[in-house]
Amino acid sequence: MQKEIKMPRLSSSMKEGLLGAWRIQPRERVQKGDVLFEIETDKVVSEVEAPCSGWLSRQCFEEGDMVDVGETVCIIETDGEDA
Amino acid sequence: MNGHLPEWFRVPYDETSVTQMNDTLQSFQLNTVCTEADCPNLGECWHRHTATFMILGKYCTRNCRFCSVPHGKPEIPDVNEPSHIADAVQALGLHHVVITQVTRDDLADGGASQFAACIRAIRNLSEDVTIEVLISDMKGDHTALDTVMEAGPDIIGHNLETVPSLYAAVRPQAIYSRSLDVLAHVKECSPKILTKTGIMVGLGETKEEVLQTMEDARANGCDIFTIGQYLRPGKSNIEMKEYVPPAEFEEYRKAALQKGFRYVASGPLVRSSYHAEEALL
Repeated sequence: MQKEIKMPRLSSSMKEGLLGAWRIQPRERVQKGDVLFEIETDKVVSEVEAPCSGWLSRQCFEEGDMVDVGETVCIIETDGEDA
Repeated sequence: MNGHLPEWFRVPYDETSVTQMNDTLQSFQLNTVCTEADCPNLGECWHRHTATFMILGKYCTRNCRFCSVPHGKPEIPDVNEPSHIADAVQALGLHHVVITQVTRDDLADGGASQFAACIRAIRNLSEDVTIEVLISDMKGDHTALDTVMEAGPDIIGHNLETVPSLYAAVRPQAIYSRSLDVLAHVKECSPKILTKTGIMVGLGETKEEVLQTMEDARANGCDIFTIGQYLRPGKSNIEMKEYVPPAEFEEYRKAALQKGFRYVASGPLVRSSYHAEEALL
C-alpha cells in the first residue's frame, strides 16, 4: 500500500514550504519515525518524520523546490507490499 | 541547513501526532498559543501530547512587537470555554496543563475569572493534573490576581519578555515594574504557588542586562526562569538582532541557578511553556 507524505502546514499562515534536504533516498528502507526530509522556514528546520515503515518509492520534488502545502512530497510503499 | 539559520535550529515534526492533536482541539473548539503564535516547537510538543491552551479568544488588546497573535476587536468570553478545556485535558490524558491568554485590557478583571473557572473545571474532572497559568499583568490589579490565586493553580507565570531598556521598543504597553509587582504579589499572598517568568534574547540586550533582569525577578520571589531565542514571526514584528549561541544560553542557565531559581530552562528553542512540566519534577 502506498502512503503519500504531503507538505505539512507548519504555521497558520504557511502556504508553501522550502524543501531543504532529503534524508532518505529512493528504494531506501524507512522505519516509522525516521526523518524523511527537511522543510526550511525563517524560524526553524523541521524534520518531517515517517508515519509508517516501508521503503521510499518516490521523491516528487528536488532539494530547493518550493512545495505548496498539501502537495505530495514523497511516497512510501508500506510494509507488506512487494518491493 | 539553509544559508541563514544556525545549525542548532532543528525540530522534529510528526504529522500523525499533530493531526490527532489538531482534531482534538478543534472538536473542543479550543485555541492554542502553539498555533496562534506559530511556535516552532509545535511538532515536538504535540508529539508529546502537551499543548498550551490560549483562552479568551484569538485577538489581543495589546500590540507587543515580538508577538504574532493578532491584535483586534476582542471576542466575548466563551462561558463554555472552561468546560471545553477540562474535557480536552481529560480526553488527551494530560498530566500537566498550561493555560495562557490573549491580554484582555477591555475586561474589568483582565480575564482573571475565566482563568479561575478553567482551573476549577479541570480540577473537577482531573484531580491529579498540575495546572500552570501564564497570565497578563492584569494591569497590575491585585484583586484580579487574587482571583487567579484563589482558584489554586500550581504555577503562575507572567513573562517579563525582555530587559527594561527594550520595553519601549518590544513591549510598549507594558511596564517592567508592574510586571515585577505581579510576581511579587503572587509570592507574597500565595507562597505555595510557584511563580515563573521568561525572557527572549537576541533583541539587542546585553549580558549584564539579562543578569540584572534575573536578579530583579529573584528579588520579587520568582521561582522559575526561562530564556529563549527571539525569532521574528513576520515583517511587522521587531527585527532580531542576533542568534545567541547555545553556549551562551548555558552560561545564562548556570547564572540563573546560582541566583537561586529552583528551575531554569535556557536554550534557543525554549519558550515559556516548553517542557513546562519538568519544573515540578
